[in-house]
Amino acid sequence: MSAPVEDRREEWEGPVPVPTGATVPFWAGALEGELRYQECDCGHRQLYPRAVCTACGSEDPPFAASDGVGTIYTYTVCHVPGEPGFGDRTPYVVGAIDLAEGPRLLALIDAEPESLEIGARVAVTFWRVSEAAAIPVFVPE
Amino acid sequence: MAEPILAGVAESDLGETPDRNWLDNAAIATVRALEDAGCSLDDVDGVAVAGGDDYMPALVLSEYLDLDEPSFLEGTEIGGSSFEHFCGHVRSAMARDEADVVVVAYGSTRKTGPTDERSLEETHPIDGFVRPTGLFRPPGAYAMAARRHMHEYGTTEEQLAEIAVATREWAAMNPEAAHREPITVDDVLESRKIAEPFNLLDCCLVSDGGGAVVLVSEEKAAELGVPEIAVAGVASTSTHRQDISEMPDMTTTGAAVTGPKAFEQAGITHDDVDVAEIYDSFTYTALVTLEDLGFCEKGEGGEFVSGGTTAPGGDLPMNTQGGGLSYCHPGHFGVFVLIEAARQLRGDYEGDRQVDDAEVAVAHGTGGLLSSSSTVVLRRES
Repeated sequence: MSAPVEDRREEWEGPVPVPTGATVPFWAGALEGELRYQECDCGHRQLYPRAVCTACGSEDPPFAASDGVGTIYTYTVCHVPGEPGFGDRTPYVVGAIDLAEGPRLLALIDAEPESLEIGARVAVTFWRVSEAAAIPVFVPE
Repeated sequence: MAEPILAGVAESDLGETPDRNWLDNAAIATVRALEDAGCSLDDVDGVAVAGGDDYMPALVLSEYLDLDEPSFLEGTEIGGSSFEHFCGHVRSAMARDEADVVVVAYGSTRKTGPTDERSLEETHPIDGFVRPTGLFRPPGAYAMAARRHMHEYGTTEEQLAEIAVATREWAAMNPEAAHREPITVDDVLESRKIAEPFNLLDCCLVSDGGGAVVLVSEEKAAELGVPEIAVAGVASTSTHRQDISEMPDMTTTGAAVTGPKAFEQAGITHDDVDVAEIYDSFTYTALVTLEDLGFCEKGEGGEFVSGGTTAPGGDLPMNTQGGGLSYCHPGHFGVFVLIEAARQLRGDYEGDRQVDDAEVAVAHGTGGLLSSSSTVVLRRES
């Protein structure tokens, strides 16, 4: 898969991810429009990236590319900004997205709240927010 | 197994304490709780502290109070349920004769104190995934769980609001409660939107303050001549920590595990429970916990709390001091549910605020983002 990566560095005032340790391949993938998760040789899939597989204990489980689609497990419409730089964005939507491959991911959903419902299909896009990272953002399919 | 006796309870001043730090508030609550138990700092041989803005809180409080080589030290941090969790550790320590008088304490300046402004370089790797979403935590995280519950079980915003309304009825009788004016379901629904489906009145308030309870051995309790409020059951667990996305099922909490264990230890059934002090950081927290503790079937919490079940005069008096929603909430509310449960069992109150002939209370703590659960069953020995 390759999803759009929009350059939002000029407008972004929120926190920016700092790739470190086990998360480096995830953020590297995001800059290229690829949503990655860890898929261990034992078959277990996980996010957020960790130095160990939580199923078998293997160290540094490898990454695989997601198709970038999933469904909304749940969401909230935020009327109070939870981080610096979000004051002008309210209301905005944060969802818990169940990727088709299994892992669940918390992310912004770029859509009108009225159009959303639990179980709806969404696809990933990326917003580049720093030199080192682009964040996954989901939009209705 | 010998059961610790909850011999003394107290709060520090609540609300805004700009001239105090967390440690001051924890220490003030401690000395007041010791006085309530009829003993003194010289008697203390154990300290359990969580939630202080220090990574060695048991040492810091011990030093501050100039304790003489305490034999029991506890600082396990599992959020708002830490104090219920400590009750189990204290029980084990007392069974081994390691301590006779243990102070379980909390203090904070959540309202007027400094805020945490760590950068993402300094935090858990998952913060790189969560903080750029802008999610207002904890309200937004609990709101996501509540919406999932509404989706699966048809729970309504009106039913969540019923909890806030009933809790406020209790608060109206508590001079220490921050908010005492009556509210209606419509008031909750029309209050400012915070993180849908939560409005302002679905959310706990924010306070400074501290609380402490004194747990003593049965021998010490006999010596002090205090009412015998026994820790008859206690269990803890966790389901996740930092990110609500890591909660396996947002409609079921660890209380589904800890409730049955604690009830079995205490040898009680739900019918035996006279009063429930259930962590209510949000209306949903109390609703899902009531389900998971087994006071009603899974998914029927909304119906259960409707019509004043948990209000004064209801079948299950809950959060009888006004809860985190109306009384106080300095961050880790768990110590306050123990305090109120003990007071109800001692018969400290008059009139409608006192639950008639309360003998068994459940005190339940929740920590993190619905992450940790600890249940304590307290029983007044006749």
